[in-house]
Amino acid sequence: MSVRVQPELRNQLIQFGIGDWNACYHCGTCTAICPLSEEGFLFPRKKIRLMQMGLKDQLESSVEPWLCYYCGDCSKTCPRDANPGELMMSLRRYLTSKYDWTGLSKKFYTSEVWELAFILLFAALVVIAFLVILPSMGYHFTKELTADGGVKVNSFAPIHIVEIFDWTMAGVVATLLISNILRMYYQIIWKKSKTKVSLWVHIREFWLLIFNFAVQPKFSKCDDKRYWLSHWLLMSGYTIMFIVIVVYLPWFQTEKIYPVWHPQRLLGYYATIGLLFGLGVAIIGRLVRKDVKFQFSHVSDWLFVIMLTLTATTGILIHVFRINGMPVATFISYIAHMAVLVPMILIEVPFSKWSHLAYRPFAVYFAQLKKYAVPK
Amino acid sequence: MRMTEATGIFFYNPINGIQDPIDYGELSAYIKKYPAVKNMFYYDDFPWNEENILAKIRSCGLERLIIAGSKPGIVKTLFAKVMAIEGKDPDKVILASFNEYGIRRKTDINRAKSVLACAIEGVPFEMAAMPDDLPVNPATLIIGAGIAGIQAAIEIANSNNLVYLVEKSGTIGGKMATFDKTFPTLDCAACILTPKMVEVNQHTHIKLMTCCEILEVAGDPGNFNVRILKRTRRVNVATCIGCGTCTEKCPAQAPSEFDAGTTMRKAIYIPFPQAVPNKYMIDAESCIYIKNGKCKACVKACPVPDCINLDEQDQEVTLQVGNIIVAAGYKVFDAKRMPQYGYGVFPNVLTSLEFERLLNASGPTGGNITFRSQDKKGNWIFSPDSEKPESLAIIHCIGSRDKNYNKFCSRVCCMYSLKFAHLILDKLPEARVYEYFIDMRSFGKGYEEFYERIKEEGVSIIRGKTAKVEEKNGKLQIRGEDILLSKIIENSVDMVILSVGLEPSEDTENLCRILKIPQSEGGWMEEANYNTDPTGTIKGGIMIAGTCQGPKDIPDTVAQGSAAAARVIRNILNGKVSKDIDTIPLEKIENRIHELSSIK
Repeated sequence: MSVRVQPELRNQLIQFGIGDWNACYHCGTCTAICPLSEEGFLFPRKKIRLMQMGLKDQLESSVEPWLCYYCGDCSKTCPRDANPGELMMSLRRYLTSKYDWTGLSKKFYTSEVWELAFILLFAALVVIAFLVILPSMGYHFTKELTADGGVKVNSFAPIHIVEIFDWTMAGVVATLLISNILRMYYQIIWKKSKTKVSLWVHIREFWLLIFNFAVQPKFSKCDDKRYWLSHWLLMSGYTIMFIVIVVYLPWFQTEKIYPVWHPQRLLGYYATIGLLFGLGVAIIGRLVRKDVKFQFSHVSDWLFVIMLTLTATTGILIHVFRINGMPVATFISYIAHMAVLVPMILIEVPFSKWSHLAYRPFAVYFAQLKKYAVPK
Repeated sequence: MRMTEATGIFFYNPINGIQDPIDYGELSAYIKKYPAVKNMFYYDDFPWNEENILAKIRSCGLERLIIAGSKPGIVKTLFAKVMAIEGKDPDKVILASFNEYGIRRKTDINRAKSVLACAIEGVPFEMAAMPDDLPVNPATLIIGAGIAGIQAAIEIANSNNLVYLVEKSGTIGGKMATFDKTFPTLDCAACILTPKMVEVNQHTHIKLMTCCEILEVAGDPGNFNVRILKRTRRVNVATCIGCGTCTEKCPAQAPSEFDAGTTMRKAIYIPFPQAVPNKYMIDAESCIYIKNGKCKACVKACPVPDCINLDEQDQEVTLQVGNIIVAAGYKVFDAKRMPQYGYGVFPNVLTSLEFERLLNASGPTGGNITFRSQDKKGNWIFSPDSEKPESLAIIHCIGSRDKNYNKFCSRVCCMYSLKFAHLILDKLPEARVYEYFIDMRSFGKGYEEFYERIKEEGVSIIRGKTAKVEEKNGKLQIRGEDILLSKIIENSVDMVILSVGLEPSEDTENLCRILKIPQSEGGWMEEANYNTDPTGTIKGGIMIAGTCQGPKDIPDTVAQGSAAAARVIRNILNGKVSKDIDTIPLEKIENRIHELSSIK
């Protein structure tokens, strides 16, 4: 099968942060130095070749960019300063935009104006909800304190309404993500494929998906294990927070002040520490820019860490103000928390950097399926 | 007749990481006095593409275009095409290339002005900028006695002129003396070189000065005063009979420089058996007497009275010469800078220079390819008694074509690596040989044919540089990607040879400072004109030859040696030498431009 060289693809790729895509002279050092590159799934060099030739179809159906965890060994040893690690990162952005059927992902990745406009829009809606809609429904902010001196959070943020909203938001995000994953599945496993994967293999290998989601074993194969640890702390902290907020909100958002060793507070503290540690590593890394991994920061990389940090810090502030009986401060930080959290979830998870929480484990799963593919 | 055609000047100064030293503001102010110049444009004024340039030509009614800048040739085709589209003469796109005339520094602004003025008036710069002449002293100094210096020395001496051949080490011959065979002819390197070395030693017109370093060069072209530091050998060259008794008795050892550190030599030694001069010398760093004041074993053993004087001091010598040829050579890339290849960690990872010695019939193993082993004192050396490897891998481009180390291609590594493959199969016909390369650069006469021949001999040639060398079960594990197959290749071999690239020698920077010659990118000595004067420099009476100008193979080095010698002989025959090109006052060039353009 012959292919057509499409140099025009490069202009598209440059928008996703791809720098000097033509610097590579194909010595193969990057592929050979990579601890994750394996038979059948060789990268980064092969992907760079696809970029140089502009082979769009082959790029879009490749799973390899998601198998790279950006340790930076390839960029460090590259004799051409071609930054293969960053090229793979940019490819992930490109692929995210390709899986997304709404077209918003491409807008967010290639235009800061679009991204900021949507963030502000969602933030404004949150503020309106707290200042106009909820009071009109009879839920007013009160300065009265509870018996044990805490703030009456449920007065202005009634649990049953927040819970409905949480579930709705989770539903929207999940629908978008699942539909994108189906598109990813189509690209990687089905499209123009001369092979097929049996249903039994799908079921048998499903554990890989769960396993990879939970502990990122591939990441831990990179030479520098510290990043795996900080990422895992961040990810586990976030997952705990997500579960308690969406599934167990009535248990988590209470007016009663529990003792410090109560699981509600302990879980919250672990999640906060995990989040802040992981974010600290990322922010300091991106500011110092010593490690190859953090030398190039796309706007989407910064927005992600900034919004997550703001979410975490406003969450801490709510907690501190609430247990110390400071109603005005609690009210303001609650609104601020939601005004950052809502756009972050709605934009980052289905359309931007955070979508990797789904694409990465699924990619490992799909790659495994491909290994067991048989001719049609 | 002076140029009157409407001329537009385009300053091409894109900043690619290097700050352009030329003050374009000053240049543009200067050329206002040339009436032909109608307009001037800068690179950042507007995007340089067909439409914009076409628009400028039309709106300003330009007939001639001059592109001025460091390397303006890159955009010439664009301008020629635009001229052709407009129906004008594409030949009227003229380059004022500053790089070509060695204009690299802020202080070169006057030369930049004159190059631009020449372009405007349509006068060749070489004709307009003719430096004055000075009378010349017929004696010549040649710095460096490798093959380039030897070649130049013999050429000049054979024209019956005096040559001082100054060499830093204890013997002449340079790097070539350590090689086994030359590519692509597979001639014995020593068989070509040693007769020339002997000729140098015996020539009545060559004064050979080993262990010498240049301290200072003063004076004008044609009459240089050169201060030279003559490091003491501590052995009298005139009386030493080269019997070797001293070496036998000497208790101190050091790695042999000539054998690239693969064998041990004594503190009193001859660099190699065919050294010229074939006299002993003492290495002050390893000599016990010089360190502790006790020993004198060599003095006691020496049969010639007063031949060895351990307390002899360095001397300073002054020479008067008319011309200088610099042939300071190169050093090889230090493979330890790339730890992923395990040089210095695994004993059987070798550099190419070490492997040359291993192959050499007069080398430490008598030409047998054997593993590196430890001697009684624990030094890693080559000895003929070790086991022979069964599989060898040669990795190209170590330290060359690599932005982390040296960007340039070292030009010789591909070919010497192929030569290695051939010589290995010659000596170990059963061995498996792998060549890992990125691009095969077999560019010279007979080189591609040589490559074909090596392929036919059964060498496995793999496209893809390796990423790392590791030790596993006593074997060297090489991991790389085969680009053509797109597969990871893991290979176990007994010995790895790293094809290290070339770098300017340690002394290049110092010599450039002493001689006031600029250095090109990569640290090489800069020639006067890359294309038309590769052995000249911007300094009158100073020529460069061989690898100090840039990486090159032996034939090119020899050719440059002869070329530099021809320039010296011309100067001597004419009895005069040109002054430095940067000493010509701008007014003088302007007058000359005026003169030449009126003739036209």
